[in-house]
Amino acid sequence: MFRKIAGYVPLSMIIFANIIGYTFLAFREEPYNSHAFLMCFIVLAMICISYTVIIKKRFGESYLFLIVSMLLSIGIMMIYRLDSGLAVKQVIWMLTGIIAFFTCYYLYLKIDKWHKYYYLYIVAPILLYILTLVFGTTINGAKNWIIIAGFSFQPSELNKILYVFFLGSYFKSRDKLFFQKSNIGEKNKIFMNRVLLMFITYLNVGFLALQRDWGTIAILLLVYLFVLYIFSEGYKFLILNCGLLLPTALIAYKFFYHVRVRVEIWINPWEDILGKGYQIAQSLFGIGSGGFFGTGLRMGKPYMIPFASTDFIFSAICEEMGTLTGVAVVLLYMLLCYRAFKIALNIKRRFEKIVVLGLILLIGMQTFIIIGGVIKLIPLTGTTLPYVSYGGSSLVTSFIILGILQAISRGDFSSEGENYG
Amino acid sequence: MDENKKIIRVLVAMCSIFFAITAYLTYLQIFQGKKLMQNVYNRRNSEIEENTLRGSIFDRNGVVLAYSEKSGESYERIYPYEALYSHVIGYNSKIYGKSLIEAAYNGYLLGLDNYSQVFGMVDRESRGNDIYLTLDHKLQELGGNLLKDKKGAIVAIDPKTGEVLALVSKPDFNANSKWLEENWVSIAESEEALLLPRATQGLYPPGSVYKVIISAGAIEKGLDKKTYEDKGKVVIDGYEIKNAGEKALGNIGIKEALAASSNVVYSQIGVELGSNQLKRLADRIGMNRDIEFDIPVNKSIFPYDTMGKNDMAAVAIGQGEMLFTPFHMAMLTAGIANGGDVMKPVLVKSVMSPEEKKIKDFKSNVMYKIMEAKTADIIKDMMYEAVENGTGANAKIEGISVAGKTGTAENHLSEKNKGGEHAWFIGFAPVEDPKIAVAVIVEHGGSGGGVSAPIAKRIISEYLQSIEKH
Repeated sequence: MFRKIAGYVPLSMIIFANIIGYTFLAFREEPYNSHAFLMCFIVLAMICISYTVIIKKRFGESYLFLIVSMLLSIGIMMIYRLDSGLAVKQVIWMLTGIIAFFTCYYLYLKIDKWHKYYYLYIVAPILLYILTLVFGTTINGAKNWIIIAGFSFQPSELNKILYVFFLGSYFKSRDKLFFQKSNIGEKNKIFMNRVLLMFITYLNVGFLALQRDWGTIAILLLVYLFVLYIFSEGYKFLILNCGLLLPTALIAYKFFYHVRVRVEIWINPWEDILGKGYQIAQSLFGIGSGGFFGTGLRMGKPYMIPFASTDFIFSAICEEMGTLTGVAVVLLYMLLCYRAFKIALNIKRRFEKIVVLGLILLIGMQTFIIIGGVIKLIPLTGTTLPYVSYGGSSLVTSFIILGILQAISRGDFSSEGENYG
Repeated sequence: MDENKKIIRVLVAMCSIFFAITAYLTYLQIFQGKKLMQNVYNRRNSEIEENTLRGSIFDRNGVVLAYSEKSGESYERIYPYEALYSHVIGYNSKIYGKSLIEAAYNGYLLGLDNYSQVFGMVDRESRGNDIYLTLDHKLQELGGNLLKDKKGAIVAIDPKTGEVLALVSKPDFNANSKWLEENWVSIAESEEALLLPRATQGLYPPGSVYKVIISAGAIEKGLDKKTYEDKGKVVIDGYEIKNAGEKALGNIGIKEALAASSNVVYSQIGVELGSNQLKRLADRIGMNRDIEFDIPVNKSIFPYDTMGKNDMAAVAIGQGEMLFTPFHMAMLTAGIANGGDVMKPVLVKSVMSPEEKKIKDFKSNVMYKIMEAKTADIIKDMMYEAVENGTGANAKIEGISVAGKTGTAENHLSEKNKGGEHAWFIGFAPVEDPKIAVAVIVEHGGSGGGVSAPIAKRIISEYLQSIEKH
């Protein structure tokens, strides 16, 4: 009996946090805003129903969804405070995301041999990139949006997952994905495989550079290097890749105005405070004005931060809920990573192991890049804060990732299954 | 399994990254938070400003120098003495921003340090803190009247406490925002550099007042025991140096030489001291160094790397390429009066909360030592002689012993027409127990003894009378 209740303690904390937050939001207006309670109820209903399904149907790892629920709650609360219309949209995206979560969960378990579709993971992103370049629209300086029927989404979000699946297929049987039947000799085969791996990686990077999506480039390359570190044989290939990236980064710095500007702003945003340094300065003002405990919801001025509900939502959270809440959010991501890494450590099947690691690295690196950016720890590159920022494609993609992680945590991948190596 | 080991390492790396974020956030909040919150560009403050009665600014005796008044929806800043404090308090305009004290103490004036702000009661009507300056309004007003349409500056400091008693810069401008906003372009582009606070940011060649500093070097080297022959002119390194009016002073020591402002004697002392000692002297008195103060002060400039003999001679009589702010000169004068210890200058005396509680009380301490007390005593005596029997006679006050030194600094204008020199006077009184130190400069005013010494005299006697009464 006690165990049963204990299992629901984290959930009750989420419920508690939501009720407090929305009560606050409701009574900061006169006359009080009943709309906020409706909002609270819908969000909590979705979380509780999904969580009950996860527990009752024995989905495996139950903490992943709880951590994500907390992040989502904080995000929607902040978005609601900034723009209640946007929050309603975000709730619809949340519903879509949860549907995607369950769909991906079942789909992943249903189709067993995902590594067989590696050609799809190579071709589909390229098609999507070309589609974006042709039909894409530029929003906030990055041409990575496609608008269909007033409905905008970022294909690069999906491409990140496809790229991780490709890495999984490649390292499942290391350096043996291509040229299996050709007779060019064992050494040449490995060499050619590695060349192709690099080529596909840099092709992704190249397309992203054309779209000026520097944030995603950084995320992809970091994931690539970490996966190389873990799954590549020896360190030579990793060092070679690092060695190649360094001069490339320098060249990018020298020849791409956008890259240079970002570094310059990072070094001294105060020089051009009303121009290029405006965004980061406003973000820091927000964090500074909030202090450790925050001004309280609706009592600060986070709307002065540009893109407060998307890229800069972390600063808005810090302003009104305090730096301590900011730290708590970071810790939630750390917990999420920890749980996912634990899953990765327990699986034996290589493809799944790589996919879990790749996906959680995607989330982790994205978090680091955007939070580090808005607090001026590293140069700012625009990307969303997973599960927290407003944004349909970002949220749905993040839920797809969660669905796959959930499936792998549940699935019976602990046996070796087949040989590799 | 090797792979799992590596996975754990990657997990550790990820955790370190998140830890770095947490650490940096904490650092940001502890060490930068307040600065960020009070940053002039943080628009949160201008919103706060609309709902905040900005604090008033008072002189040391409680005379209101700046206050805010409700006009329509927002507050308007009013400076009852219009231009008199434009180079001290500055201005506060919605369009052109803030300057000087209004900028430097913006956080206090808006009450951003109050706990009510921290806990978020931002949209409540609130009051900022009041600021008390060390200035004496009567003295400031007298200074303004004495300079009137002349260009120049007057700085008066209490040598023992470092409190700035008067800080006059001319020309000035009406700082009330209505007038300011209507005339901004003509103010900003005026050839007279109306926006330049001459007392703290104007740079001038020191002329003969620098001989006081050189004297310190000379005394330390024992040259005060020596006598020099002054024939009215001397040739150093093929370069002729003359006394004012080529007056021959005969066989004299440095005491007489300072009193009569002998260029012949001091140029020789300069050469005797040599390049190293001159540079060390300049370094010791804080040339080329920032001065920490409530409003920005320019660095005084000593540009020499290597010095020829004629450079040494020129520096010793204050005619080289070095430049001083009047403020720095006043600090040095106060330093001599205070036995060689220069006090850290103070302009803001205290900050008072709306509930009349003292939030901040600014106390001064010794900023640096420019000479030993022994040396300072000798120089005090020499400066007393310069007023009693020398070029500074116009600063003499009956019943009070005044010490001083005149300076008539050549500049590009004075080369063409006589009387275009910058007129300097530095001095302090009473010599036995200095209460006030003054530096006066009148741009292109002519002779220091004729133009600036009488101004200094009025300032000194006014102040000493006023403290007598209290």
